[in-house]
Amino acid sequence: MRSYLWYLARRFGQFVLVVFVGINIVFFVTHATPIDPVEQAISSATQFGQSDPRAVEIMRKALRELYGLDGSIWQQYLTFWRRLATGDFGPSLSAFPTSVSTLIGQALPWTAGLLSTSTLVAWCVGNFMGGLAGYYRKNRLLKGLGIVATGLQPIPSYIMSLVVLILFGYLWPILPISGGVEMNIHPGFTFSFLGSVAAHSLLPVLSLALITIGAWFVGMRSLVSNIVAEDYVVYAELAGVDRHKILTSYVMRNALAPQLTGLALSLGGIFNGAIITEVVFGYPGLGTLLVRGVNSGDYSLVLGIASISIIAVATAVFAIDLLYPLLDPRVKVR
Amino acid sequence: MKAALFCLTATFLAGSISEQAFAQASFLAGIPRNEVLIAENPEGRITNPTWFNIWVVNHGSNSNGLQQLGMDTLWYIDPDAGIDGVWDNSLASDKPSYNSDFTEMTVKLRDGIYWSDGVEFTADDVVYTVETQMKNPTTTWGPGFLASVDSVTAPDKNTVVFKLKRANSRFHSLFTVRWNACWIMPKHVFEKQADPTKFEFNPPVTLGPYTLKSFDPNGAWYIWQRRDDWQRTTLGRFGEPGPKYVAYIDPGPPDKRVILQLNHELDIIHDTTPEGVFTLAKQSPSSHFWFKGFPYAHPDPTLPAVVFNHDIDAFKNRDVRWALTLLIDMKAVSMASYRGAATISAIAVPPTGLYPKYYFDPLEDWLKNFEIDTGKSKYKPYDPTVAQQIADLLRPTMGDKIPKDPKEIATAFGRGWWKPNPQVATELLERAGFKKTGGKWMKPDGTPFSITMLVEGDQRPVMTRAGTMIVQEWRQFGIDAKTQAYPSDFFPRVASGDFEAAMAWSVETWGGHPDLSFFLDSWHSEFVKPAGQRQPPRNWQRWSNPELDKIIEQVRAIGFDDPKGVDLGQQFIKLAVQEMPIIPLMSYNVFTCMDTTYWTGYPSAETDPYTDPVPNWANTKYMMVKLKPVEKK
Repeated sequence: MRSYLWYLARRFGQFVLVVFVGINIVFFVTHATPIDPVEQAISSATQFGQSDPRAVEIMRKALRELYGLDGSIWQQYLTFWRRLATGDFGPSLSAFPTSVSTLIGQALPWTAGLLSTSTLVAWCVGNFMGGLAGYYRKNRLLKGLGIVATGLQPIPSYIMSLVVLILFGYLWPILPISGGVEMNIHPGFTFSFLGSVAAHSLLPVLSLALITIGAWFVGMRSLVSNIVAEDYVVYAELAGVDRHKILTSYVMRNALAPQLTGLALSLGGIFNGAIITEVVFGYPGLGTLLVRGVNSGDYSLVLGIASISIIAVATAVFAIDLLYPLLDPRVKVR
Repeated sequence: MKAALFCLTATFLAGSISEQAFAQASFLAGIPRNEVLIAENPEGRITNPTWFNIWVVNHGSNSNGLQQLGMDTLWYIDPDAGIDGVWDNSLASDKPSYNSDFTEMTVKLRDGIYWSDGVEFTADDVVYTVETQMKNPTTTWGPGFLASVDSVTAPDKNTVVFKLKRANSRFHSLFTVRWNACWIMPKHVFEKQADPTKFEFNPPVTLGPYTLKSFDPNGAWYIWQRRDDWQRTTLGRFGEPGPKYVAYIDPGPPDKRVILQLNHELDIIHDTTPEGVFTLAKQSPSSHFWFKGFPYAHPDPTLPAVVFNHDIDAFKNRDVRWALTLLIDMKAVSMASYRGAATISAIAVPPTGLYPKYYFDPLEDWLKNFEIDTGKSKYKPYDPTVAQQIADLLRPTMGDKIPKDPKEIATAFGRGWWKPNPQVATELLERAGFKKTGGKWMKPDGTPFSITMLVEGDQRPVMTRAGTMIVQEWRQFGIDAKTQAYPSDFFPRVASGDFEAAMAWSVETWGGHPDLSFFLDSWHSEFVKPAGQRQPPRNWQRWSNPELDKIIEQVRAIGFDDPKGVDLGQQFIKLAVQEMPIIPLMSYNVFTCMDTTYWTGYPSAETDPYTDPVPNWANTKYMMVKLKPVEKK
């Protein structure tokens, strides 16, 4: 137990270090961008309308004061960490004075729902099929599925998104292709709202899941292929243990440990958003928000999303590190 | 094993069935499709959708219907013919009235106009709008008022008097819609707020003919409902708006917009790619365009051009600028950028709206006779047949979509452009001290003549393709030219002066009115910043010229409608041809596609050019009274 606590403390130290370094890197990278949010604001305010040069000078001065960009980068750095300690990322510069936390709070449930669903679907289907294919290596149907899955795997997400969009949005237009929910529907725990959310998520989930199923499939098949050659599996077969039991209890269970690590990392990564998929399907998630933040030079927003992503991935890795010694006695805590 | 496969198959079938069940659902709950007009919001998904305080910089969205359907101001100038002439007195009952030295402007307002909450609109609202924004320079129009307004008063409920800090014959343009203008604030709503710049204004109280019905808290759509008392809005003069509801939506990337219109789920595409329009023209009989054939697009009164940075030594020389112009084959640029669907312009105003009448037709002979003297030869560079040649190039593949009548060709494709002539370009460059060595052009100081053309990349693919073609033509001539894509922060970078040449625009006009001050006033040398400082809009090229200053000062001294304005405009155009500070290319053609499945009465160049169909322009409100539901047979 003592050694486990020491292991836990070391892992926690690593977790804190990763988060601190990661957020610092993002802070300095975003602040090094040549995009100036004040000039972006002036550009959007004057691009089509009045643009008296005297007025622009007045606007520039006023906005610079309002956005608090007059201080040095170190003052901004200290302010950022002070705010972050209270869970506040400050106001968005492109949607001033709405807070970054509010914007992230609006987008996060959509991304989390979309990516956790697609990740879990892909993980379950890919591992299940991969496990079967690794164990029943001569089965033609599973061989065929393997070819399909590995064929889908290298397809870029934007191509897959466009393919399913054209298939189910145009050639066989049975699914909504835009947005997270039907227009003019009141949000709430009603069948119509939840059904609409589910319907609108089908194509994005499909496009994301199809390309990731292949990766899980290939990984699981190869793990199972190795495990079936292990002595304890051979002995179990020779001893006449039921094949179904061998597959589930002896083979797949042992093969799942590394796949669980991958799942945790993937779930941690859902806070990055699925930028291309969200943009193609007009999905209201973090990916779309991030693109808008980058394009408008809103480094408060970019920093907020990136910080959450860093914390999420680091937390997922930390959780796995903590659980591993409990799940797999072969992992030592020294 | 069999059980597992059975489970897989069952799961797949269940998924398919549920997909089909969901597919029966409409995409718009609770509103009959034939009562709603669905238009694209080109701003996409809105970052802070709950903000309707349009007076604050970086508020939610302009193009979500707010400025088109909910706002109103004193005057509108249409970029095309206008619903009842180009000029519309909207909240004002008459045109602006200035004193003799343009230091005072008096406005008379309409009677009987009401806010959507039933409160009457009065002069106090106008005064409040100006004073509130002057107190808050972070508002969109506050700085403009601070620069110009000394005081604003309301002697009675229908009169507003502005006393100005200095003579300003164009002060009314702050309240005159081109694309937008300063919208009037509801005093009775905002005066209750401690800080009007932190007030969301949700839901907005509107002066326009629609009110907000509902919106997506994630910013993808906004639905507006026609006011029951639409007669008490300024649009009531023209009849009842046709659509009971108008939805502004984020339809996603260009391909998806085309799919949505093919499925009749998007009535107005704001803009798409040339290829997208060609697809709709072929596959969607119900799609309607500004031009019934090529170029389909609406030419906006904006002039994409090669904008030189005049702080760069090479571009300070007129001969160099002209030499680069004479290396461009406009036919190739038109085909590369708009796939031929461009409306070209050889002069520094866009060939749109009423400008052919004011500027292009009267100057055609002057252009034909315009001559360049290189010192070695004389050359008349204007070729009046370039648009005709583009039409002829397209006819074999596009057939009857290409007009044959020269007048129609001029309206659709423009008129002439400059004839490429490498020999004259060589003579001009040599006179400027440039030399060609080993197939490469060298500057007078012996270093290679290189040009980096800034383009917006994927953010504006049509202009990027135009820039790439021009750069190729320069390279073929021996100039070390290349493009640099800079999709984000493009105009702020141009303003910073950190560029050599850019595919951009520094000319934007009213379209329907010949006055050029909308862009030209800012070209006065008093506003040109030294290198290293940010240049205010719109003289991105930082060009200054004493003759130009004289023209601008004369424009300032005359009234907005003074006929001398056209003459001064023509003088500017001639000066711009002689000096070529930017290379004019074409109007900004917007591929707006309108579906006639549910609505009819859209504007069209040939039959009824009553307004710009591009739905993010505030003039879109005039379209509402012309649109009628299609009767189902």
